[in-house]
Amino acid sequence: MPKLTIDGLSVEVPKGTSVLEAAQLLGIHIPRYCYHPKLTVAGNCRMCLVEIEKANKLLTACSTEALEGMVVRTTTEQVRKARRDVLEFLLINHPVDCPICDQAGECGLQDYYMDYSLRKSRFAQEDKIRRPKRRIVGQHLVLDNERCILCTRCVRFCAEVTKTHELDVMERSDGSFIDLKEGKTLDNGYSRNIADICPVGAFTSRDFRFKQRVWFLKRTPTVCLGCATGCLVEAQHNENVIYRLLPRPNAETNTWLCDYGCMTYKAVLAGDRLSKGVIKNGLIDLEPALREAASRIDEAKGAVAVLGSPWLSVEDNAALARLAKDAFKTENYCFDFEAVQGIKDGILINKDPAPNTRGARMVKEAHGGLSLAELSDRVATGKVKVVVTEARAAGLMKEVLKAAGTRLLVFATNKGEIPAQAYATLPYASYFETPGTFINYQGLRRVTAPAVQAPDAIKPLWEMVNKLAAYSGASLRLHSAEDAIKGIDIK
Amino acid sequence: MTENILLKDNVAGIEGYFAGGGYKPLKKALGLKPADIIEEVKKSNLRGRGGAGFPAGLKWSFIPKDAQGERYLVCNADEGEPGTFKDRELMRRNPHAVIEGMAIAAYAIGSSHGYIYIRGEFAAEAEVLEAAIAAARSKGFIGKNILGSGFNFELFVHRGAGAYICGEETALLESLEGFKGQPRLKPPFPAIKGLFGRPTVMNNVETLAAVPAIIEKGGDWYAAIGSGKSAGTKLFCVSGAVKKPGVYELPLGVTFRDLLEKSCGGMKEGKILKAVIPGGSSTPVLTAEEAWGVKLDYESLAAAGSMLGSGGVIVIPEGECMVKLLQVLARFYHHESCGQCTPCREGCGWIEKLLNRLEEGRGSSADIDNIYAAGEAMMGRTICPLADAMAMPVMSFIKKFRPEFEAHARGETCAGRAAGK
Repeated sequence: MPKLTIDGLSVEVPKGTSVLEAAQLLGIHIPRYCYHPKLTVAGNCRMCLVEIEKANKLLTACSTEALEGMVVRTTTEQVRKARRDVLEFLLINHPVDCPICDQAGECGLQDYYMDYSLRKSRFAQEDKIRRPKRRIVGQHLVLDNERCILCTRCVRFCAEVTKTHELDVMERSDGSFIDLKEGKTLDNGYSRNIADICPVGAFTSRDFRFKQRVWFLKRTPTVCLGCATGCLVEAQHNENVIYRLLPRPNAETNTWLCDYGCMTYKAVLAGDRLSKGVIKNGLIDLEPALREAASRIDEAKGAVAVLGSPWLSVEDNAALARLAKDAFKTENYCFDFEAVQGIKDGILINKDPAPNTRGARMVKEAHGGLSLAELSDRVATGKVKVVVTEARAAGLMKEVLKAAGTRLLVFATNKGEIPAQAYATLPYASYFETPGTFINYQGLRRVTAPAVQAPDAIKPLWEMVNKLAAYSGASLRLHSAEDAIKGIDIK
Repeated sequence: MTENILLKDNVAGIEGYFAGGGYKPLKKALGLKPADIIEEVKKSNLRGRGGAGFPAGLKWSFIPKDAQGERYLVCNADEGEPGTFKDRELMRRNPHAVIEGMAIAAYAIGSSHGYIYIRGEFAAEAEVLEAAIAAARSKGFIGKNILGSGFNFELFVHRGAGAYICGEETALLESLEGFKGQPRLKPPFPAIKGLFGRPTVMNNVETLAAVPAIIEKGGDWYAAIGSGKSAGTKLFCVSGAVKKPGVYELPLGVTFRDLLEKSCGGMKEGKILKAVIPGGSSTPVLTAEEAWGVKLDYESLAAAGSMLGSGGVIVIPEGECMVKLLQVLARFYHHESCGQCTPCREGCGWIEKLLNRLEEGRGSSADIDNIYAAGEAMMGRTICPLADAMAMPVMSFIKKFRPEFEAHARGETCAGRAAGK
């Protein structure tokens, strides 16, 4: 374990740690562009040059290994001048079009310019090198070569993370530019991350561009529910509108976020978002919809089943279990889901598309119930007349329901989720609007936090369950999500 | 005058090379222990002739003794430094010295595969080498079980594709592996992780060509030639306003004056010495006064504020415009920067643009300061020394010939032009 001194503070680090990382442990930020903790070291931006005793010139902190007895200085005038110089070089051919650049506010050039430079450019604007701008380079990205500082993070991301090798630096000297290799497009399922790791405004997200200035955005740490991986994300929003999901890098689960996951927030304000009930194909106010659903349940005279959902939180599944046991007084319920889990693509996407298969099983452990096969059997043999479930979970027994002609009542957030044979649909608040507990494939507890408020009429699913029970003449006394999970051991 | 070690007549063919005692050193070397050969080369004080002047024997000794698997020997024949044309001449006139030197070096470091990475434009020289290697192979000096010693050594010629940067050790390795020629971060150094990730030694053509004579006559003999720590002979390529430009083999430590007057026949008729770039275009320029008595060796030139470099001596006469000259150099380095590191990628182009403005009469005094400042900001700040190679002439030209730059800034015809053209 080498021990070294950085700016007078001493630190002991594991062998192989870079000076930059060692400084980070001390809370000393060494400016950088090309360095990224999850990519190989390129050492090309030259922004992280620091003074190291006994070295005859400044060394890049990112590529220099921290060694025993090293004395590093990161704030001397020589170091600050080197940073100023690199910034000036970087801005020579940069268009400085911050007012129309989407990166403004989270731009490495702006930030470090404020920290280290603050001087007028000595280079004449008219002599700048012009390059292609606003090039669409795939489903998620726009590339502006003029703003690019050639740090090659994007090139390394495609080579090392997705291993799809779409990008490279073409030409050389100040004629260098990032481009797609011949015959490639940038749609590797993770491409949008490039907009995040691009330290400047070269790669911007087509989805996010020009929607919102970043300094207006509020940040809510939450969880992606796109699959069982349960990536930690940050929902960025303003005035009750989510504008983007960004990964919240963490050691356990994710550094990145897949392109599918980062678009899941779109459902919140999608055109098919449900704020009313649906009976057959017609929209209907919530209360009449609940009444209608309750009447159909009454009509079935106990031949009712409840199917939980691996897409719902532990709380909402627990509320459904209470609905079956305490309101419908039936044994026909199932929270027992099986799915093969594990990373499918070697990066993030899980074999299990549902986010809470493991969480639903905790509800089963507390409340018991049938297996999916047993419940399907009861439906198939006509013992069940009405099934209450969540829209996507209905798909787990789609064929059986269709064959038996069972009446289907579902909860859904968006119209697009509603299965064809649903008789009634009740809306509920999405997990961007309400908290919920999920257990990811690693068994880690993942709790969503509401980034935005659901429209007044839309309630969390547990609350809808409470109402439905009331219409069916039972009181579940669910006043909060916590009420629903009483007695459930969430590990 | 010392006898020529490298540039000899009638040794281009293998028969002629034999007649001069060629390939005897290889035979001798194969009877020695590899460690003893390295020791002999260390003793000789032979230093890298590519420009950096690193001790060759020491470099060889960096190959880890316990490294399993392949090790490589690479001959850097990507001679691209403006003003430098010694390796070309050497490969044409004495290709077997290079091949024999490589075979000895390979034996010393335990390598069975060598590459000669030759500048793409040197098509004729590549053919000469190919033919020489074929001849050496037919005589059993290259290939399997060389001279019955059990030592195998295959040698390949690889032509570059026209990038100056590929003369830089690690960029050369990238290019040789089939990638875009861009310098690698060091460490790891090539001796640990070089070609195809294996321990690799790379030497300049001229360095390797000196090895047979060292093995033949001993390290002490070689160390006695030259001056002090600068041992042996050096090929000086003289270009510019001299009567007899060309490649001259002289002991290190020869004075510039002797090189100019004795070897090159003095300045061209009617030309007066103004300045000298002593070691290829990237080395700092010396004024006539500084250059005149200077000894051409590693230490003396360093003391004079320049470098021995590749030995490319560019003689600049009165009448040459220093702004114009620097503009030409800047255009070259701007074109050849690999574009990896920020200071070099942006700085070389910026400097060229500012020099263009000065040269075209659109510049200002502030531009001169900016050019100098850009040079300063590039110096020592990049992965490889290409930024330094641009910065050193820039800073030395401005420091030593500032009035000419100022005259340009004022829009006056420069003094040099007025006098010369």
